[in-house]
Amino acid sequence: MSGDKRPRIERRRVVSPPGTRPRRDPRAERQPLAAASAAQEPSTTGRIRRDPRAARGPAKPPAAMDQPAPKPAAQTIVVDDPACLILAVPDFEDGRLSSHDRDLLGAARMLADAGKGAVVALMPNAGKEDIATAGADRAIAADMSGYAPETKAALVLACIEALQPRHILFCETPAGGGDVGRRVAAALGEIPAPHVMRLSAGEAASRGNGGRSDYLQPPPRLLFVAAETADPPGEARREARALPVPKVAAVDLRIEDRGIAATDPNAVPLTEADFIVSAGNGVTDWPGFHEVAAALGAAEGGSRVVCDTGLLPRERQVGASGSLVEPRCYLAFGIAGAPQHLQGILRCERVLAVNTDLHAEMVKRADLAIIADAQSVMPALARLARDRRRGP
Amino acid sequence: MGLDIAVLLSIGRHPASGRSRRAENDARALELALNLGGRIHAIHAGDPDEPALRDYLGMGLETLSVLRQPAECDVVPALVRHLTLIRPTLILTGSAAEQGPGSGMLPYLLARQLDLPLLPATAGLALNGGLLDALQALPRGRRRQLRADLPAVVTVDRAAPAARQSAYAQARRGAIDLIDMAAGPIIPADAREVAARPRPRRLKVMSAATAAERLRAATEMQAGRGKLMVDPPADEAARAILDYLVSEGILIGR
Ligand SMILES: Cc1cc2nc3c(=O)[nH]c(=O)nc-3n(C[C@H](O)[C@H](O)[C@H](O)COP(=O)(O)OP(=O)(O)OC[C@H]3O[C@@H](n4cnc5c(N)ncnc54)[C@H](O)[C@@H]3O)c2cc1C
Ligand SMILES: Nc1ncnc2c1ncn2[C@@H]1O[C@H](COP(=O)(O)O)[C@@H](O)[C@H]1O
Repeated sequence: MSGDKRPRIERRRVVSPPGTRPRRDPRAERQPLAAASAAQEPSTTGRIRRDPRAARGPAKPPAAMDQPAPKPAAQTIVVDDPACLILAVPDFEDGRLSSHDRDLLGAARMLADAGKGAVVALMPNAGKEDIATAGADRAIAADMSGYAPETKAALVLACIEALQPRHILFCETPAGGGDVGRRVAAALGEIPAPHVMRLSAGEAASRGNGGRSDYLQPPPRLLFVAAETADPPGEARREARALPVPKVAAVDLRIEDRGIAATDPNAVPLTEADFIVSAGNGVTDWPGFHEVAAALGAAEGGSRVVCDTGLLPRERQVGASGSLVEPRCYLAFGIAGAPQHLQGILRCERVLAVNTDLHAEMVKRADLAIIADAQSVMPALARLARDRRRGP
Repeated sequence: MGLDIAVLLSIGRHPASGRSRRAENDARALELALNLGGRIHAIHAGDPDEPALRDYLGMGLETLSVLRQPAECDVVPALVRHLTLIRPTLILTGSAAEQGPGSGMLPYLLARQLDLPLLPATAGLALNGGLLDALQALPRGRRRQLRADLPAVVTVDRAAPAARQSAYAQARRGAIDLIDMAAGPIIPADAREVAARPRPRRLKVMSAATAAERLRAATEMQAGRGKLMVDPPADEAARAILDYLVSEGILIGR
């Protein structure tokens, strides 16, 4: 498919091209959803039932993406008088919620709901995330810039002191929550549940014994939770009411963060790459492709077509019959987005696409899509990235 | 200044055969120590007759100190007492024991009781005068550079270089230096141990609060919720991509 003959579309306006589904703005959709919920009737079982068609709203006129609908107050779930508090301490690596962080908030949500309680999320005050749509009833926004596990542990200890939460949840990540959580456990003299792989209000299962055993016990206060132990919370808006930052005891800072080291992106296997720049049949300027990947410090990947033709080595193939990759970011040049390819990037957190075809599946999957010739964007991007590295 | 490095070694277990062997990350910690040079104090708290201790000796140790402790008891008090005596400049440990719960708490309890800084998830080490430079392993092959004063506790990650082979002759030659110590308190076994239940990987994330939303997510193709630029000039397109990468923190350290 080629985009040449398609009607051109004004930048950032979302129009549904004939024969395709409209692009949807999840936030704009809340409006009809809220209206629909007014018509909800309790069923005989007392549970609220929704008419899925009504909830979905009428065939919608396209919504402009840059003007989200005003947030309907009726949609916000408020927990006013919680029976207990669950403190969630997401990693917020680089100020962002990772999928592991969202799973953690889902686990906290589950424990809170089971105990008629509220989730308190600890977050950096420079956070770019909307914690209200990530399951938080309360939020404590504190200064947490850079890598400072000693400070973070002291902050968590102060929060525990002030809030007396029933449980405190950390991501079981070696350099993140798993570390901060163990500092907290050592300071409190408490025995945590490490490597939690399954969790309910009544039981925590900790993987141990070199991966051969699960240790089952009622969940203790401190829980170090593995990824995918719980599903992330739904997108229902919660209050995220701001709580004051408790007074933190003075800490002796003994670890100095000297920044992220430059590493060779192609030295790690593709499945472990942090950032992948990928090429498909739409790439013809191969020196330009290698140059832009190098300038961005990204690992190289490709579609099956380019690996079949030998333009990239086989181990660089992304997709069902190649590698299933999970970088934080995937930038695709000239890749159509066949189902077999999309399968390979199911777990990517952010996808960027440059493609000449507005209707390519890859464009639909992308968080940022650019309808343009890869051959012109690649050198321009390489130049900008090199300039940025050299500094202003 | 003579460098004294204590390496804390536990007994590992082969995941397939179930036989005792050296613990992988503890062996990596010993490997880092051997490469730093200095005087190495290899320490195990437990049973001096455990054959797997020979695997560590085979990596090139003259002696391995064993603080005799009965099974099922807390080894932290014995280790604290011994480490207080020898006052090492650096204490290296693995990240979690391969036998028993393996909570990974031991280095944290030591650091707390000895009042030392702790550098977690380390993949590489270098000494820089009186300072310690550590490379911390982050997911997806990234590394963070850390610096701390000595003495310090360092936990070693699986991203650290693999340990050298254990040589049979050296393993026979090395000596176990037995140190008797009062037994620590018995650790209560509160948890019930069952065979690990494998957990399937989640394939698709469905974040939906209601059945209607879940149905919609399951039946509809994931529509782009992102920004779209149609036919921008190349420089504008490149700028938009770069700004996005920067704002998402993707280019930190690149
Ligand atoms: C059993 C099986 C397994 C498979 N496994 C895999 C797999 O693991 N991985 C995989 O990738 N594929 C796999 N495939 C193949 C897959 O079906 C597609 O054929 C393949 O992914 C297409 O690669 P492509 O997108 O690079 O090429 P094309 O389908 O040719 O698409 C090229 C894209 O580039 C765009 N384009 C063209 N010119 C330009 C330009 N100048 N600038 C920007 N964009 C441009 C086009 O609009 C188009 O969208 C498998 C197929 C089968 C049957
Ligand atoms: N009995 C022991 N003797 C010496 N070191 C130990 C012992 N048990 C644990 N360690 C060290 O502490 C680390 C973490 O163990 P754990 O906290 O028990 O999971 C291990 O990787 C070892 O380096």
